[in-house]
Amino acid sequence: MVEYVQYIETLIWVLIKIFLILIPLILGVAYLMYAERKVVGYMQCRIGPNRVGIWGLLQPIADVIKLLCKEIIIPSVSSRYLFIIAPVLTIAPALAAWAVIPFSPHLVLANINAGLLYLFAMSSLGVYGILVAGWASNSKYAFLGAMRSAAQTISYEIAMGFAFVGVLMASGSLNLQDIVLRQQGGIWHWFWLPLLPLFLVYWISGVAETNRAPFDVAEGESEIVAGFHVEYSGITFAIFFLAEYANMILVSTIAALLFLGGWLSPFEGIPVLGHLFAWVPGIAWLLLKTCCFLFLYLWMRATFPRYRYDQIMRLGWKILIPVTLVWLTVLGLAIEFHLKPWFG
Amino acid sequence: MLIENLIFITFAVTLIASAVMVVFGQHPVRCALFLVLAFFAAAGLWLILEAEFLALVLILVYVGAVMTLFLFVIMTLSIDFEKMKQSFLRYYVPLGVILVCGLVTLMFYITSHAHADLIKLIPMQHVPADYSNTKALGGVLYTTYAFALEVAGVLLLAAIVAAISLCVRDVVDSKSQRVDEQIAIQPKDRIKIVKM
Amino acid sequence: MLTNYLYILIFLGIGAVFGLLPMALGYLVSPKNPTKEKLSAYECGFPAFEDARMPFDVRYYLVAILFILFDLETAFLFPWAIVLNKIGWYGFLAMGLFVGLLVVGFIYEFRMRALEWQ
Repeated sequence: MVEYVQYIETLIWVLIKIFLILIPLILGVAYLMYAERKVVGYMQCRIGPNRVGIWGLLQPIADVIKLLCKEIIIPSVSSRYLFIIAPVLTIAPALAAWAVIPFSPHLVLANINAGLLYLFAMSSLGVYGILVAGWASNSKYAFLGAMRSAAQTISYEIAMGFAFVGVLMASGSLNLQDIVLRQQGGIWHWFWLPLLPLFLVYWISGVAETNRAPFDVAEGESEIVAGFHVEYSGITFAIFFLAEYANMILVSTIAALLFLGGWLSPFEGIPVLGHLFAWVPGIAWLLLKTCCFLFLYLWMRATFPRYRYDQIMRLGWKILIPVTLVWLTVLGLAIEFHLKPWFG
Repeated sequence: MLIENLIFITFAVTLIASAVMVVFGQHPVRCALFLVLAFFAAAGLWLILEAEFLALVLILVYVGAVMTLFLFVIMTLSIDFEKMKQSFLRYYVPLGVILVCGLVTLMFYITSHAHADLIKLIPMQHVPADYSNTKALGGVLYTTYAFALEVAGVLLLAAIVAAISLCVRDVVDSKSQRVDEQIAIQPKDRIKIVKM
Repeated sequence: MLTNYLYILIFLGIGAVFGLLPMALGYLVSPKNPTKEKLSAYECGFPAFEDARMPFDVRYYLVAILFILFDLETAFLFPWAIVLNKIGWYGFLAMGLFVGLLVVGFIYEFRMRALEWQ
């Protein structure tokens, strides 16, 4: 009997922790959409949403309520069950990946030894939601969009995997907490410097994986009318949207963890500043770094024109993969020769 | 312990049920998706055995890559599946039943009391939390079993060559963009200045 | 170790609920008045010409096949990367040969212009 009570107690604790991760995440997604419209708006000399609430701050909530009240259309030619399952297939891995993210030295839900491998596996599942949605809709545009999107996602996944391998070589561990700790010792010890080409490759393939501008041919409004989710309406569409933005935040957070020292303070080891900022909790640094990457996403969207599909494939296969292979070799030699100060 | 058993049973039942659905599913795409579910359940079972690297690689490689190709192919093929199913039911179901019967008999034979010494049932040792079986695997795979690794590499190379030579036919007049040629072009190659 | 994975399993479950719950809510709240036209597949206003599930360019399959092979290479590289400082030059060279074979395949791919979209 006591055993059962214990089980239930642990379960409730885990659920509380999960909601403590998910609710800020969902809020983050909502305000990322708002930030996107504001930032892109200002970059294009507009002011973005400003009607709902002060500075338009209630806009995301209004959007959610609107989408919730819209009719859910399930096309008559579609495969009904798969059509409904597809959004779930997209959102579940996008959220579950957050289970292993370390937010500060002791704040991590599941501190598993194969953390990075788990993240990689979860991100490789993202393609299912796309494929199933495109196929189940039984519409030409949705199907074309799904095929394009899936082929693009898997192409960039390889470059991303090789970039991960570089991080593993430098850190010697798959555990995300260890990877962060291995970067201790100030801004020059973070992995962005010894792994600079891999950092760039990771970021480019991260943007391409989330199908964001300038790699957003999958939605290509002018050619295939928003791609694989063209048949989705109301809340079902909102879930795809939610997953896309959750993935953006995830990619940014992983970039911060792997290359910018995660929750480590940037002033570590600097005489006066280090002490001055010692009180700042780790999670604040992680958030700050993540926000920088998110801003980069929006900045890129406002700046770059869209790639053509053949150019996307060429960039993925013929430029990013060779670059990673060369840098992995260099890195291997650096480790074998114990190059100081990183691999000493 | 109770939870572990419960999860084991859930995964095992899911695995078997989805495997059955792979065979008897309505449409090939659904069958493929049930196969994905089966791989998931198998990964779950491996995780219960604390083989975390293998379980995650199963998801990464089989679910993330191999099944994606399957779906790509099945989704875009326009084959009359009803017809295929007819011949399948006629020829392959009896064969399958015979095979399954044989397998079950073998399993019973091996696990029966007469051969109890063949499989020594060792209670599973739980590993400490900081044990990484990825490291343990890496420690031997690239040293002791380096030869097997190279053989795997040769197989992968053969697969790359085979896939390309099967899929690529029209090498000559493709209209793709050649960036190096575009960059290397000089004004004098393109413009001829004529004195008037 | 298993407790950690149990948390992940619960998290996956909650993730699925996060997808299903809003849809159920939306189903309850939203109006339901479907018409034949509304439920037809999108085709720029025309009735659909043919089934949307059509044969595709073989290059997509090639991309998928090459993806599997390179994904496998990544799976081999992961454990290698984390033990590199322990297995020394022998392990480094073993992997060098392995990746070298991959690079041969990669060069072949380049020479055959296998991944050129046209």
